[in-house]
Amino acid sequence: MNMAIVVNGLRKSYKDKAAVKGVSFSVARGEIFGIVGPNGAGKTTTLEILEGLRERSAGEVSVLGFDPKKDGRSLRQRIGIQFQSTSIQERLKVSEALDLFASFYERKGDRAGLIETLGLGQYMNTPFSKLSGGWKQRLTLALAALHAPDILFLDEPSTGLDPQARRDIWALIQQFRAQGMTVVLTTHYMEEAERLCDRVAMFREGAIAALDTPKRLVSQFAVAKCLTFTSAEAELSVISALPSVERAHRDGDAVWVYAPDLQEISRHLFAVAHERHWTVEAFRFEVGSLDDLFVNLSQEGETA
Amino acid sequence: MNALLRLASVETKLFFREKQAVFWTFLFPVLMIWLFGAMFGNQKIEGFSYSDAYIPSWVAVQLLTTSLFTLGTTLTGYRESGVLRRFQATPLRPWVVLVAHIAYGLIVFIMSAAVVFIFGTLAFHLNAPKHLTSTILAMALSVCALFPFGLLLTSLARNTRTAAAVSSLVLNLMLFLSGATFPLAFMPKFLQGVARALPLYYVIDLLRQTWNVSPITSHMTDVAVLAGLCVVSSVLAARFFRWSSEV
Repeated sequence: MNMAIVVNGLRKSYKDKAAVKGVSFSVARGEIFGIVGPNGAGKTTTLEILEGLRERSAGEVSVLGFDPKKDGRSLRQRIGIQFQSTSIQERLKVSEALDLFASFYERKGDRAGLIETLGLGQYMNTPFSKLSGGWKQRLTLALAALHAPDILFLDEPSTGLDPQARRDIWALIQQFRAQGMTVVLTTHYMEEAERLCDRVAMFREGAIAALDTPKRLVSQFAVAKCLTFTSAEAELSVISALPSVERAHRDGDAVWVYAPDLQEISRHLFAVAHERHWTVEAFRFEVGSLDDLFVNLSQEGETA
Repeated sequence: MNALLRLASVETKLFFREKQAVFWTFLFPVLMIWLFGAMFGNQKIEGFSYSDAYIPSWVAVQLLTTSLFTLGTTLTGYRESGVLRRFQATPLRPWVVLVAHIAYGLIVFIMSAAVVFIFGTLAFHLNAPKHLTSTILAMALSVCALFPFGLLLTSLARNTRTAAAVSSLVLNLMLFLSGATFPLAFMPKFLQGVARALPLYYVIDLLRQTWNVSPITSHMTDVAVLAGLCVVSSVLAARFFRWSSEV
């Protein structure tokens, strides 16, 4: 497969602290690759090393065939970067910002098409400081994608946005990929990683704790199987006594039941509910999510 | 090249969007010239009339304030707010940022010098420069010396507050000790010695002399000092250029 990024044994230490401790992964061209993990796990540091903005302490890194340490400037002609929080000149108008950043690159992208896609047309004469958070984010995304880069690096692209704006940003990222861009993004919204990413690397304390497609990560590290429902009358003692139930707990009206065979336990449960006239509502199987996995991995890290 | 022109023109535009800054940048020297004019009246200063002695020196002060406050503050602010960091994420080179800012400073300076010149001519019968080419060359050399000097000083400051403090200190020191406001002849010998250690002294001397007395070729000491300052501060400003305020 044609690789956009290859990282081997990457390390970064500051004076007395190792921020990245031997990370290896590769990203295929056209892939949306997610880096998730708690704050301080080394996500941003890794990203900045790939972008050539920070020097690595050890390891090999190749981005589009360039070594970011040596050819940072040539590399940055071909990548687009969006920071966690970008600030450009406050009184700069949207159209001026687009023209200014376009002048920094040799390659010219489809400016009109980008404005259309991002819906920036209505704000062309608005100064940066007068844009709302979501529109600032759209503009900085436009500034990153303006020169039709081969790779887009997005550091927490939807942090601080309302749910609608976040969905809009996701659609845009998918559109960029459809145009052939490779996307590397960090996030701590598991939903974002699940919905958007082809593969996800989970960072913990400067190392990769897990790396796979979101689906396989969930099934591989699946939390104990469990079903949940709400019922005012259900008695835990009765449920716990049902065959093969591992444990059950409740929080207000919500009840969780853990068992190896959920289908089997459901039949018993509904039989008991029928006998004892319990009302069972909002019944469902918990399939597990990256969120659970994330919390599990983080907790493992703390107890380890 | 395109990036350089864009950046310089964007910065100039942004300067004029800051209405208050524009107002004070252009009004301050006029106010000072008017105040000092009221103080000195018809006295001769080192053989020159008030306007012939002081208007060139206010042009020099204007150069220094543009360098420290207009340029230095803008760039330090950009460093602090992350604008430079965003530039770092592009192929832009540090010297392009510096030169673009110097170009924008030059435009602001030329406009404020014109304001001072017109005001001096109308209100204080300022004589036109005797050696016009020399005066223009002297100004160009002074720009090349003081602008990188200001950018260097403010880039060493950690944030805008420190930069403003350093700038005020440097400006006040030079304002009072380099002959810009008080004639050096009034000062004790050792302060006159201090004056010769300040860059502004040479700028003022060169501008006054070429404006009123003799061509630039008769003032090679001033020229040498300013050329030296230009080279040293340009090299250091590029060397110590930082994209972000974190260490």
